[in-house]
Amino acid sequence: MKQKKLKIVKMEKNMRDMNHSKKDKEYLHNHGETPEEKEIEMWKKKLIWGWILTIPIILIMYILPLIFGMMVFSSEVMLLISLTFAFPVIFIVGLSTLKSGFRGFISFYFNMDSLIALGTVVAYLTGFLQFFLPVQDYSGVAAMIMAIFVTGKYIEAKARGRAGQEIRKLLEMGAKNARILRGKTEIEIPISEVKVGDIMIIKPGEKIPTDGIVTKGESSVDESMVTGESLPIDKLKGSNVIGATINQDGILYVKATKVGKDTFLAHIIDLVEEAQGSKIPIQKMADKITNIFVPSVLALSILTFIGWSIFGNFSSAFGASIAVLVISCPCALGLATPIALTVGSGMGAKRGILIRKGEAIQTMKNVKVIVFDKTGTITKGKPEVTNVEMGKGVKEKEFLEVAGSLEKLSEHPLSKAIVNYANLKNYKVVKNFKNLRGRGIEGTVLNKKYLIGNKRLMDENKINLKDFSKKIEDLEKEGKTVMALALEKDKKVLGLIAVADSVKEDSFKALKELHKRGYYTVMITGDNERTAEAIAKEVGIKKVIANVLPEGKSLEIKRIQDKNGGTFVAFVGDGINDAPALKQANVGIAMGTGTDIAIESGDIVLTKGSLTGVVQAIELSKATFSKIKQNLFWAFAYNTIAIPLAVAGVLHPVIAEIAMAASSITVVGNANLLRRKKI
Amino acid sequence: MGGYKMKKKITIEGMHCASCAANIERSLKKVSGINSANVSMMTRKAIIECEDTVKDEELKHAVKKAGYEAKEIENC
Repeated sequence: MKQKKLKIVKMEKNMRDMNHSKKDKEYLHNHGETPEEKEIEMWKKKLIWGWILTIPIILIMYILPLIFGMMVFSSEVMLLISLTFAFPVIFIVGLSTLKSGFRGFISFYFNMDSLIALGTVVAYLTGFLQFFLPVQDYSGVAAMIMAIFVTGKYIEAKARGRAGQEIRKLLEMGAKNARILRGKTEIEIPISEVKVGDIMIIKPGEKIPTDGIVTKGESSVDESMVTGESLPIDKLKGSNVIGATINQDGILYVKATKVGKDTFLAHIIDLVEEAQGSKIPIQKMADKITNIFVPSVLALSILTFIGWSIFGNFSSAFGASIAVLVISCPCALGLATPIALTVGSGMGAKRGILIRKGEAIQTMKNVKVIVFDKTGTITKGKPEVTNVEMGKGVKEKEFLEVAGSLEKLSEHPLSKAIVNYANLKNYKVVKNFKNLRGRGIEGTVLNKKYLIGNKRLMDENKINLKDFSKKIEDLEKEGKTVMALALEKDKKVLGLIAVADSVKEDSFKALKELHKRGYYTVMITGDNERTAEAIAKEVGIKKVIANVLPEGKSLEIKRIQDKNGGTFVAFVGDGINDAPALKQANVGIAMGTGTDIAIESGDIVLTKGSLTGVVQAIELSKATFSKIKQNLFWAFAYNTIAIPLAVAGVLHPVIAEIAMAASSITVVGNANLLRRKKI
Repeated sequence: MGGYKMKKKITIEGMHCASCAANIERSLKKVSGINSANVSMMTRKAIIECEDTVKDEELKHAVKKAGYEAKEIENC
């Protein structure tokens, strides 16, 4: 019996396999050794063998004779030892470097390896040349150069791995298995076999396998890993959940809505990867130099050799030209920007800040004005009841019972706010319910006819609001929408309900931070002036542009940009309605919550819907950009100082190689220091 | 006429320095129909924008010509 069931499960598994492309699976199952780990492993092996063979050369050729004054062997034997030990270092340990480097001489696609390959091989061959010409033997030096080179590469690869650790964590974050409901039995299957529509069962403490919608159960879910939001989010029937987030305390039944490459996590990974590869204007110069760097250095090395052969001797000609080859470091130049960008965007991803376009971090430093959309950006985007004012002798419980029961039948956002606020367990029976467009609603509860609505509705029914007029005025000044509940028969107002799209908890704090940093803030909204001014005052926004149609937002931004002969403007909006404005702004910051991030709009996307993300994004951009500048400066300075010294023959090739290795490690290490910045 | 623009992501093996990335970029840009190529040595991936007439084989060949291997090409 059991076997039969197993067989069915297996058959089912096979059938599912057919519907999943191989790629989909590889994408999700790629949890083995990463390319970075493989590379580090490779350099490590080379490093060990390189030094095992190089240390004897150093001992015999340098340490013993130079420090202890011991000439153990005759110079002929020493040469032989050097040639013998150096051979495997260069031609076995360094094989991949030689292959990749010399291929450049055939295809004219020179790279860093071309320099090291030529440098070490020429140096090695001087050992043989010694038999015919009065030149110094550099074969031992060749081995040392190669050993230092692979050591440098090893350290660099490790540091690079550290730089990319956040994105790797994202890749590894996805769940590996899912427990799904098949008929009445639960079966556990690999994540790649989950189909849209499957019901997944997630127990407390488990990862939600993929994006979906809760069909049964209640729980809170920790979404910090994808949104940066630290507080757990409550989930109940109908809530959307994100794959890779962690279920905290209840059992959830979730219907899978997105799998594989369509999930939120997969989108974030794509986004971060794309950002890490994107180009920044400041990098252009470095890129141009990197492109012509290696051929130029090769030419310079030849010139150095010729120069020294004429004005010096062959020994110094070889020494200097080899030094030129091995000291030149295109890597420091080429890595300066991408490595800092990788660290920066990784740090952002962890905090729910996705830098989509690298260019934004350069533009950010010129931004002077930040324009905010109101609804959903500064405010929650959902109206909420803020005040309830009862008339004399009216009990709140009864008041809300009537209001909640009536509003339950309406679909209007204001009604929903009231229903949520009343939070009734049992609703009263409502008869003769009517929606009164633009005014409110009416209905009969327990044979009494009630009205809920605005002043117009009350006026039409000759209900006097006099007793409440002061209160209404006050509430409206605060930008709130006020409704009255009244009994139709005795024209009596029972009380008021004020509803407002309230400000997000941290909007005030975020704006204060921005003002502290000297930004001018503007709020743009389709709402009327009074509501807009009230919100602006509450959070401390400097300027309000109200009554703007959605299409008009980008025009308003352009108007600000044209002021004072060109002002850099950042726009913060929800990304769905505000796409043109996000594009028009110099830096577009799209706000999203949960799964509904509009990935295509915005240079920077904030996954957590809080304005503090804007402050963080600005800090992060500035910090990353200054790292890039430091790195580029260092890389330029290094090459412009080191190469002339090598040409002048001042640097021994081994010192040159150490300097080169150190320079690229410095660039990568410096980028990793970005992590220390508190954001 | 094709003329339909698409975006592809190429996973590349064997890249280990910045000039490698520059080389692959240069080689890819020579393929006719490719509008932009962006190679990142950090992600070991190339993101290209090209006409739909460009075949995956051509891309592989371009990467190979620069001395590297295209492991995977995906549309995005």
